Amino acid sequence: MSDDLQWLLLRKNNSFIVKRAAEGPVFSREAANLTNIHSFKYSGLANKKTIAITPSAAGVQIVTRKKGASPHTVKKAYATSTIRNRSGSRRAVGVAAKLAKRGYRADLRTAAVARTSAILASQKEKKPAPPKKVRGKKATQT
Amino acid sequence: MASRPTVNVHSTAGEASTSLPLPAVLTAPIRLDVVQQVHKSLAKNKRQAYAVSEKAGHQTSAESWGTGRAVARIPRVGGGGTHRSGQAAFGNMCRGGRMFAPTKTWRKWHVKVNQNQRRFAVVSALAASALPSLVLARGHRIEQIEEVPLVVDSAVESFKKTKEAVALLKTLNAHADIAKVSNSRKLRAGKGKLRNRRHRQRRGPLVVYNEDNGIVKAFRNVPGVEIVNVRRLNLLQLAPGGHLGRFVIWTQGAFALLDEVFGTFDTPSVYKKDYVLPTAKITNPDVTRLINSDEIQSVIRPANAKHQKRPWTQHKNPLVNKGVLFRLNPYAKTLRRQELLKQERIKAKGAKKAKTPKAAGEAFLKTFFAP
Repeated sequence: MSDDLQWLLLRKNNSFIVKRAAEGPVFSREAANLTNIHSFKYSGLANKKTIAITPSAAGVQIVTRKKGASPHTVKKAYATSTIRNRSGSRRAVGVAAKLAKRGYRADLRTAAVARTSAILASQKEKKPAPPKKVRGKKATQT
Repeated sequence: MASRPTVNVHSTAGEASTSLPLPAVLTAPIRLDVVQQVHKSLAKNKRQAYAVSEKAGHQTSAESWGTGRAVARIPRVGGGGTHRSGQAAFGNMCRGGRMFAPTKTWRKWHVKVNQNQRRFAVVSALAASALPSLVLARGHRIEQIEEVPLVVDSAVESFKKTKEAVALLKTLNAHADIAKVSNSRKLRAGKGKLRNRRHRQRRGPLVVYNEDNGIVKAFRNVPGVEIVNVRRLNLLQLAPGGHLGRFVIWTQGAFALLDEVFGTFDTPSVYKKDYVLPTAKITNPDVTRLINSDEIQSVIRPANAKHQKRPWTQHKNPLVNKGVLFRLNPYAKTLRRQELLKQERIKAKGAKKAKTPKAAGEAFLKTFFAP
């Protein structure tokens, strides 16, 4: 079944679609949707090759569809790789961009890199805020 | 066609044992519009008749007072001694009046759908249930299962206990869909609670069997699961709500029988008289593939050189800027050149002498000053 036809069947209604604002953007909750925008390009269901980048306990998980997989296989058709924690942002972003370099959905390079760095930023532990300095009158009191 | 795609048959232990060729029905064209329209009509056929009472709003002897009483001419309840007397009656705008166009039990409750359309819709829905992305899009949790369509050994048909059924669903990794159903169970809003529809929940997998050796009783108490014979596949179960892509678990016997039940693209069905599967309008709906095919690429003209438009450059005035002017009007160049040459020619000839005024003639002056 062609991707174009599948997209036509999914476009109007599916269980992942999020329409909140009346005239606003239409979002998608698919795991393999890099921008969460409901469109053919980013759709994680309609496309033959997809990239799913999600945060996990081990770091960042990248799930792609295997090249020669039959269209009917489900679980075995996906290849999972993880970027370990503390790999550093340059390396993580490089891994995300490598897919595009290999010719696997080169059109999704920016989206993949952006999602990876957003996940890395969210995983970063926040620095504790420095104690507030007391100034003026309050400092002389006590 | 290179080779007919095959589908694995999973044993009750979960691993793939043998394989079956993919039945032709599962490659039939998918027409969302047909499915939705047929579903809309078929869903109406289970309705029960209802209507308001024939007498409602007409149980008074009201009559109009006519004109001249400074009130509207609507029928009014006669008599005295109660609030009701003198109140308007009957009209749909009146308190205690009948409704507008009172509903009747003889409404047209059922909708006839042509047999071929019904079959087309079932075939479409079946084809959609064989595509993982459409099954996922319907909301079934099938991420962990091996493949779609999911076929299990015929031994499942002789399951007697629900415990066995649940164990099978767990080994197939299809139990996530059952868990989704149980978690979704909610109290229904409204009066349906009192009418034997107390809870609402999602739909789980549809189990299709060939022969019932206990499979129906084994599966029927699993939340969300529906069980149906291959010969009696039904659009309301294959595409609930008109949404394509029900998660279907086939038994081997049922799956092998599909080619007989629905026929193929060239052999008619055994069970449906003279029925051949609908064929798609185009064999390859992959638009990119078509465009990039050798056949099309060899006959189209080569692409033009890339033309880069510079959007943010300053706009040049052709009345002032000669370069832009010549681009717009190449003849302007010749015009200008001609003009320059002409000027030069004149210069070379020597400037023409200016006219020096001469004194007026005598005859003129004479007439001018004539007395």
